Amino acid sequence: MNFWEYLAGRHQQLLTDAYQHASAVFQCMAVATVLGVLIGVATYRSEWAGNLATTATATVLTVPALALIGLLIPVVGLGVAPTVIALTLYGLLPVVRNAIVGLRGVDPSLVDAATGIGMSRPARLLRIELPLAWPPILTGIRVATQMLMGIAAIAAYASGPGLGNVIFRGLASLGSANALNQVLAGTLGIIVLALLFDAAYVLVGRLTIPRGIRA
Amino acid sequence: MTAPGQVRTAPEPAGEDEAEAPRTPPGPPPRRVGWQKLTVLPAVLVAVLLATWLWFEQADLDALSRNALSGGQVSKALWQHIQLTAISTFFVLIIAIPLGILLTRPAFRRATPVAMAFANMGQATPAIGLLALLVIWLGIGRRAALIGIIVYAVLPVLSNTITGLKANDPTLLEAARGIGMSPVGVLTRVELPLAVPLILAGVRTALVLNVGTATLAVFGGGGGLGVLITTGITNQRMPVLVLGSVLTVVLALLVDWLASLAEVLLRPRGLQP
Repeated sequence: MNFWEYLAGRHQQLLTDAYQHASAVFQCMAVATVLGVLIGVATYRSEWAGNLATTATATVLTVPALALIGLLIPVVGLGVAPTVIALTLYGLLPVVRNAIVGLRGVDPSLVDAATGIGMSRPARLLRIELPLAWPPILTGIRVATQMLMGIAAIAAYASGPGLGNVIFRGLASLGSANALNQVLAGTLGIIVLALLFDAAYVLVGRLTIPRGIRA
Repeated sequence: MTAPGQVRTAPEPAGEDEAEAPRTPPGPPPRRVGWQKLTVLPAVLVAVLLATWLWFEQADLDALSRNALSGGQVSKALWQHIQLTAISTFFVLIIAIPLGILLTRPAFRRATPVAMAFANMGQATPAIGLLALLVIWLGIGRRAALIGIIVYAVLPVLSNTITGLKANDPTLLEAARGIGMSPVGVLTRVELPLAVPLILAGVRTALVLNVGTATLAVFGGGGGLGVLITTGITNQRMPVLVLGSVLTVVLALLVDWLASLAEVLLRPRGLQP
């Protein structure tokens, strides 16, 4: 059976896996973005706290995915829980780092001007600082999403959802006629998903980055 | 562990290759190596290892777990993991750095965007998929695992090298050419010394990536600490799983720490921030 016949025969299962893969990454990324921006907002004003947040998230990223999942399994069991926790943790770093760098990079004279026209602290944050820091934050989200695509594939080993299952099924049946088809379908599927997400972020960028600071 | 202000040396090439990635605002100049940098992480790692050991002392292992951990299998897995990491890092560096230098020479400059686009595409490829394809192609064993680890890390280090060499101040290169240096002289006496921090950052990126990818070598029959983790998961033996994971985490953090020390200590004096 060649690759196209395999795709035609299994497209239902593959589409379900692809959907679950994309949805796991998307949901974890959404949580990671909210948490990451909140951490960034809470820590960027203090040199000490900001560096601590960056160092802590960088340390998490140094930990290999399979080992982090391995440490989570005794605590939360197999399946969706370790996948979601691991993906969210790994998604945090690029967002936190870029949020802190972006927020610190906002021209202080703009914040001063906002204070001068009587804006409150929350208004300054929401209407001046965050919009100006949004492009680097979006870059962080893009980088994190690409990374999560690969990590989600590994999480399938701990009975997580997604296209990783197809790859592992292929690895488990090495030598059989379908092994290559399965691995190829899983890998290419993840690459396609990653590129689709990337294109979506470019679109989101065009729609959400204020016109005045668009490059 | 990243020293204060050293954002661009974080272990993953996250965002560094993106043109729109923000520059770090200049913070206060960090000291060469502070005492905290020297002591905090090793102390934490020793504490973690000690806690794991104490826990193992009182844990009662069943036959399956004892079987999986006996006969020097743990030290063998650890040693295999270190070997996989060291060998793959060596190859990544001798492939990616010369290629990066070559691609930034005027003759090949037109190929740079192609290589960068390729590198960004490569980021989207899942490591486990790449490894699985190589295993099918080359057969199960250490060779396939090593090639997979190397291929996966070459692209990030390559794009880091290209970005760094391009970021060299063009006026310095102009000045070097102006005083009559040959292209080879400009490269070896100006560009490369200026790029040392960047090459060290590449070493660190490669090491950290490879420690992580080496855990996947088990799926290609390459051994390493991944053996303990997968045995623990498939046999539902938590002690084996925890030991494998803890050793992997400690090794990864230790390697990153050593690389970050090397980064600070080997940087040419003239380039101290």
